[in-house]
Amino acid sequence: MKYFDLKMQPILKIDLTTRKAEEYRIPKQWERDFLGGASLAARILYDELTSELDPLSPEAPLLFMTGPMTGTSGPTTGRFVVCGKGPATGLWAESNIGGFWGPELRSTGYDGLWVTGRASEPVYLWLNGSRLEVRPAAHLWGMNTYHTQEKVKEEVGEKSARVCVIGQAGERQVLFASILCDHGRMAGRTGMGAVMGSKNLKAIAVHGERELPIFNLPRYKALRSEANRKLKEDNEAKVMREVGTAGAANYAEYLGAMPAKYYSRGSFPAVDEVSGAKMSETILVGRSACQGCVIACGRVVKTPKDVAKRKGPEHETMVGFGANLLNDNLESIVDLGDLCDRYGMDTISASNTIGLAFHLYEKGIVTKEVTGGLELKWGDVDAIEQLVRMIGSREGIGDLLALGSKRFGAHFGAEEDAVQVNGLEVAYHDPRGVSGMALSYATSPRGACHNQSDYFFVDWGHSREDIGIKFMDRHAQAEKSANVARHQDWRTVDNAIVMCLFANVDAEEKAALINAACGLDWTVADMMKFGERSWNLKRAINNRMGLTAQDDKLPKALLAPFPDGGSAGFVPDLEGMLFTYYEARGWDQETGKPSREKLSELGLDFAANDLWGGA
Amino acid sequence: MSAIFPSEEWLKELESKLNSDERYNEIARNWEGDLFFFIEPEGNLKEQLTFYLDLWHGTCRKVEYKPRADAYPNPAFTLSATYNNITAILTGKMNPMTAMMTTKLKVKGSMSYMMRNVPTVLDFVRCAQEVTTEIL
Repeated sequence: MKYFDLKMQPILKIDLTTRKAEEYRIPKQWERDFLGGASLAARILYDELTSELDPLSPEAPLLFMTGPMTGTSGPTTGRFVVCGKGPATGLWAESNIGGFWGPELRSTGYDGLWVTGRASEPVYLWLNGSRLEVRPAAHLWGMNTYHTQEKVKEEVGEKSARVCVIGQAGERQVLFASILCDHGRMAGRTGMGAVMGSKNLKAIAVHGERELPIFNLPRYKALRSEANRKLKEDNEAKVMREVGTAGAANYAEYLGAMPAKYYSRGSFPAVDEVSGAKMSETILVGRSACQGCVIACGRVVKTPKDVAKRKGPEHETMVGFGANLLNDNLESIVDLGDLCDRYGMDTISASNTIGLAFHLYEKGIVTKEVTGGLELKWGDVDAIEQLVRMIGSREGIGDLLALGSKRFGAHFGAEEDAVQVNGLEVAYHDPRGVSGMALSYATSPRGACHNQSDYFFVDWGHSREDIGIKFMDRHAQAEKSANVARHQDWRTVDNAIVMCLFANVDAEEKAALINAACGLDWTVADMMKFGERSWNLKRAINNRMGLTAQDDKLPKALLAPFPDGGSAGFVPDLEGMLFTYYEARGWDQETGKPSREKLSELGLDFAANDLWGGA
Repeated sequence: MSAIFPSEEWLKELESKLNSDERYNEIARNWEGDLFFFIEPEGNLKEQLTFYLDLWHGTCRKVEYKPRADAYPNPAFTLSATYNNITAILTGKMNPMTAMMTTKLKVKGSMSYMMRNVPTVLDFVRCAQEVTTEIL
């Protein structure tokens, strides 16, 4: 394979304890083998992430990484990723985010920002070109995310600056606190906001004017234009633009793939009232897009009581605060999503953990004494809102909910009732309706994640014949495992370059874009091998931190059939699926570790020696 | 009764099926919108083919075989596919949702309305499949 030496930009590494910064040069071999985004971050942090490391300690790393196409106006490539060790999971953590901050960071001349240490007092960073300032932020501590953004922007006095921030949830180390930038774009999952808060780091403002490195600019421009033109005509992109990500709510409900009442029901008859279609027909007043994106899935809404426009909910927020809690009030979902954004917390984990509280209240395990007199009645919007506020402020029962569903359930002796995998709450694509998600959730490197492989799209009908994934029945079982593994590899490529999962760019086209941007000569097979290498690297990181085959599991609720809806009676055969999945992956059935041979084949000999012993 | 696709008889047969099929009548009871199809030449189809269906509240009010595009300038939905892709859908070789999600069947019209009414769309396809015995 040819490699033309792209000369990636360095990473800026700052220790907040000593306030010293240095440039970190990415080893050439790593550039080629891991490229960027979450994959390169995994290689860089491989030695840092140990089982002993406390994710909220000063020693814990927090790495903001862009990809080789970030900011180049390629198809949906205005993104970046935040990586470290998950405070709720104790595992590899990555959280992908759009907006404009990533492109702006690259324009400073750095491809990443690596934060360690802990400031003695609250601070924010102002990176203006190559000049870095550590500024006091005590006056910002306690402010919500949007106010913080405005204030920091005002203080740095640069109109083009972009700011990513934490809210009160991050300050108080809610274990599912998020990082927000721009118009409500979120690194939502895995609690990277809590890690940022543990470092007393309130915000990072960036501004740069450098041209971004592209290996073959004329070719890249031609490919980019064609890919964006096709994307505009793509049916799914049209749905995302017109109806938003919640546009598929009706279809998901019809299939029995949208869980209701904390994963106990497979149908939600009020779906028409809380869907992307309803939002488009009632309160939608505009759309928002990340840098260079031709889809514009972001919703801008104005409810009758609003004086200003604000962000509307995407699919997970819509279902999490809708069907999950038997709430059919669309405007309340807008409010609840907005509230979570202002506190800076993940709407999936927040709504899921609140759902568990309602579920345990119904069972008589959580009582009014515990909730401080609050009655948890399904669909009661006021009660839901109070719990969100209590989590954000860590008051009363909110202090327990802030630990996430696994710990909340365990506190009441009901960990089995928590719908989570390895400490990360399950998203709202139910494997009883779309069976591929059983493996996606059980084997994701960051806990129950729908973005390491959004296989629900395949099970809905979106086959990917360009990478050898033909359509299979949505309730197919072990015969589907190799497809899921392949799909994970495919999405690992996206999370490395950091491309949005909503961009339907076919495999040949994607490889050509990467080649033009990075000076490679990858075939589709090379690209998929790259994805497989990175997936196995993240697995090895987790194995080193104690993850075993016994951790590849699903919560009890997802292994009991729905009583109603389009998937009533079906349960995924997780055991059978895992067996064929391990076979397809080349993983050891006993330990769940990638085999020595597999790791060597992928050029990961260092990991093979760590996992299996040897030189 | 059933017919060879594509033909005017096939379209008439589909009209009759849509008006008599109780399941379709029920599922599509709220559907309001006409469809204009463009089938692009490929394989045995040598020139572009058009057909039109006016669907309303679980019934089919009108069909027309090979209409000119300007005869119906503002249909609720315009659907375009190559001949091989449309016949793959009609013979059950391609899942209709796969055709839509991979843009093998191009859709122009209100995506909001389409997403709300996926069951109607799927049942319309079922009816079309059931009247198709042979492909040209």
